[in-house]
Amino acid sequence: MKKFEWMIFGLLILLMFIGLISIYTASSTKIGDDFIFSNYYIKQFIWVIISMLILFLLLKTPNAVIEISIFPVYIITILLLILVLFLPEIKGSHRWFSLGPVNFQPSELAKLFTILAISKLISKPFLSDGQILLRSFIVTTVPVILIILEPDLGTALTFFVILFSILIVSDLPKFYLILIISPILSIVFSFSIWIFIIYLLSLIYILYRYNLDKVTIGFVAVINTFLFIITPIFWNNLKDYQQNRILTFINPMRDPFGAGYQIIQSKIAIGSGGIFGKGFLLGTQKNLNFLPEHHTDFIFSVIGEEFGFFGCTFFLLIYFLFLYKIAKSIRKIKRKEYLFVSVGILAYITFQFFINIGMNLGIVPTTGIPLPFISYGGSNLLINVSAIGLILKYLKERSIFA
Amino acid sequence: MYKRFPASSYMEYVILFIFIILIFSIFKLQIIEGEKYKNIAEKNIVRIQTIYPTRGEIYDRKYRPIVLNKPSYNLYIIPGKITEKESVSEFVSDYFDKGIDEIMKIIHENRYRSYQEILLIQDIPFEKMTIISEQLNYYPSLLFKAEKVRKYFYANHFTGYTGRITEDEYEKLRNEGYSINSNIGKTGLEKYYEDILRGENGQQVLQVDAGGNNLEFFKHNLQTSPQNGDDLILTIDNDLQEYVSSIFPKNKKGSIVVMNIKTGGILAYVSKPDFDPNLFTGGISAKQWDNIITDPNKPMLDRVIHGTYPPGSVYKPIMASLGLEEKVIDSKTKLAKCDGGMWFGNRYFKCWYAKGHGRLAVENAIKYSCDVFFYDLSTRFTLEQLNEYNTLNHLSTRTGIDLPGERKGFFPTRKWYIDNYGKFVGILGHKVNLSIGQGEILVTPLQICAYYSAIGNDGVWKQPHLLDKRIEAENTYKNIVEEKHLPMSDKTLKLIQNSLYKIVNERYGTGTAASVSGIKVYGKTGSAENHMGKKTHSWFSGYAKCDKFEIGFNVFIENGGHGGSVSAPIAQKFISYYYGIIE
Repeated sequence: MKKFEWMIFGLLILLMFIGLISIYTASSTKIGDDFIFSNYYIKQFIWVIISMLILFLLLKTPNAVIEISIFPVYIITILLLILVLFLPEIKGSHRWFSLGPVNFQPSELAKLFTILAISKLISKPFLSDGQILLRSFIVTTVPVILIILEPDLGTALTFFVILFSILIVSDLPKFYLILIISPILSIVFSFSIWIFIIYLLSLIYILYRYNLDKVTIGFVAVINTFLFIITPIFWNNLKDYQQNRILTFINPMRDPFGAGYQIIQSKIAIGSGGIFGKGFLLGTQKNLNFLPEHHTDFIFSVIGEEFGFFGCTFFLLIYFLFLYKIAKSIRKIKRKEYLFVSVGILAYITFQFFINIGMNLGIVPTTGIPLPFISYGGSNLLINVSAIGLILKYLKERSIFA
Repeated sequence: MYKRFPASSYMEYVILFIFIILIFSIFKLQIIEGEKYKNIAEKNIVRIQTIYPTRGEIYDRKYRPIVLNKPSYNLYIIPGKITEKESVSEFVSDYFDKGIDEIMKIIHENRYRSYQEILLIQDIPFEKMTIISEQLNYYPSLLFKAEKVRKYFYANHFTGYTGRITEDEYEKLRNEGYSINSNIGKTGLEKYYEDILRGENGQQVLQVDAGGNNLEFFKHNLQTSPQNGDDLILTIDNDLQEYVSSIFPKNKKGSIVVMNIKTGGILAYVSKPDFDPNLFTGGISAKQWDNIITDPNKPMLDRVIHGTYPPGSVYKPIMASLGLEEKVIDSKTKLAKCDGGMWFGNRYFKCWYAKGHGRLAVENAIKYSCDVFFYDLSTRFTLEQLNEYNTLNHLSTRTGIDLPGERKGFFPTRKWYIDNYGKFVGILGHKVNLSIGQGEILVTPLQICAYYSAIGNDGVWKQPHLLDKRIEAENTYKNIVEEKHLPMSDKTLKLIQNSLYKIVNERYGTGTAASVSGIKVYGKTGSAENHMGKKTHSWFSGYAKCDKFEIGFNVFIENGGHGGSVSAPIAQKFISYYYGIIE
């Protein structure tokens, strides 16, 4: 049985269409009674066409070709991530390759191929738990370190979300997930000794309930205590600007002239949209150009301002249906590797969706993550559509491998 | 054959959870708090304001002003608040010397900067401002601001002037804190020391609503203070500068430079005709600009470093020292006999003195400025030797003065002649011509001034400069200048100095018009033939020493006539003036 998931595909097209409309209005400015447009929407339209072609090409590509290319491309991506660090800064970080009119972020490509590489490595039969952990960690950590150096903390975080989402559906016993999260929590809780002690005791208790042997539990306890002690020392050794970068990542409102200002302007724009919005092209905050990036990271503020609560709800509903439909469909994929890939892709798109809109609403700290399928940006769209294309491909071909 | 993965359904719950959170947050923002944000949005309450620094001022060596900031009223427009482009443009053009299309063009260029204030008119008189203010109710897009503009104390070529940043400059510099309304140094010191004079912007977040309540979106770091630009203290002496400027022959073109030979610091820097830099502070009108640009006398041309001219006889000491250094001649060697000229092949090269000087040794050849001596001398060298020695004396290379766009001058090479005159060009004739500073050689008056100052400073060449020190918030930085040695031995130097002394102080010297009693004046005259006019360029270069000062100078009058009769008396005047005023 071969069946193409028309609904997912249809919702994808609808989302990109909404994206085009949003970019169209985001790139307009009103002066007196005249509207003036920059050509972002035309460029984005060309990228939509290119993305669709790639998507169809992907559906026709034999699986064997994709399989062979995974590791070579992964290695190339790592090399690109190294190379990009040596290029001159753009907007204060080393994230972009500037190829004429196109800015390409190697970390976009790295996301997709890290997912593919992890999935391939840990879906081989007869792997021990240790092997699964070690392989997936190495494949994730290398790009993450390079991306932290750029620095791009938001994208680096996405990789951990990907890793975690895949490990949840893997054969790994669930207490390992607790083990993975525990050091992160230890770092977070290191600011207060009492909270840390309560946390450490609960951790030991939970692991004890999983019937882990005393040596392992003891080892985990020592590691976590070590992190608790080392974190303040490490923190105090960071340079001022490094501390500031991390603090601003956690709380953008610390930076009233940068990220914090953008978030407040986004909240004002969305909030002032009210129930029905100010109308297509008529957003006053947008027209006043308060947000320099309102066709990219802050495009949702334009949707919120011009289409109001009803428009936002409609938009979120479509996005919700799209993600939910994928989540439901991929459960039917029976080949482990493909399932892992699909879960990884779904997780990162969901994560970016949440972080981006959350940031526009001022409920999520970080900034610098675009809204998939909606924000202006060619290479970003291309990678995201290709990723959905892979899921569609696996869904269509699932019966062959069942 | 694979088991099902029940864990794979967790994503569905995560997605549902996220959806609920987002819908709830949007509900809160748009419905519960919607009115509050509508109010903030309508009044533009929250925004970032840039606080601009005060530009550094410029003073002379005795801390007397040359360029200051003075208060001014400026008119701005906010494109986003324009109700009708045509009527607002008409309103502004009624009051100011700007056409309707000029203003429409500014609006069009800034259409994307809809919430920014765009500078329209600078330096508006107070009375005019009050009249216009009364009508601003009808034009909500216009507003006045009290700011500062530059005031230049006298017409000159070294301060340069500031002007509105252009679109191109803005694109390049926007990340360095320039706004679309910034004034930026366009020429002269204003441009050369732009980074020092400008300072650094500050910023301020505005978040107070109409009722005066702080909205408290941000609690900390609400302001970064601007850092004002540093003041510059120049080596210029305002008294001497003004005096030299006042004695410059009326309706003549040219330049006069006076510098301290010990330091290279420039005391007076005059180029004529000149222009008033204040013309540019209010934004120059198209008509005024047109007048200046089409003026055949080119008042904008800085004839100290941007004009290059044949040096004529002031070049002769360089030839003489080459001959002495290469041991082709010594102090007693007499060269070809001058009977009013000399034959080279089938061409007769005239000496300026038709009756002839007879046979002279080097000192008298310089004193009487005998051309034939130098014609003959040049035949003993290759063109490449002449070229190399020219460069070693820091001619046809930039002096490195702290002003933008200094010209290099020119000295030809064999290759240049072949490229321009063909393969069979006779180099000899050109070489002979070059030996008396004629022909293709070009120098700037500043290069000549620096050379003669170096002779006066016992062979130590100092980089000419205008900046003495800059006053920073905490410190004073002294300008550091380059120094080099002229390519000549002490013996040669003494001989040249002697000859320059005789020119001014002995009977029949060509520069006796420059002598001042009580001061040792040294100098060389020059009358350079040129294609710019019938009269020769008049040069007088040298240095003067007394117990109070040691100065080098160059007087250059374009098509002024003879150096000895036109330029030397001017030097005499400012040397005695300077002696009189200095403490």
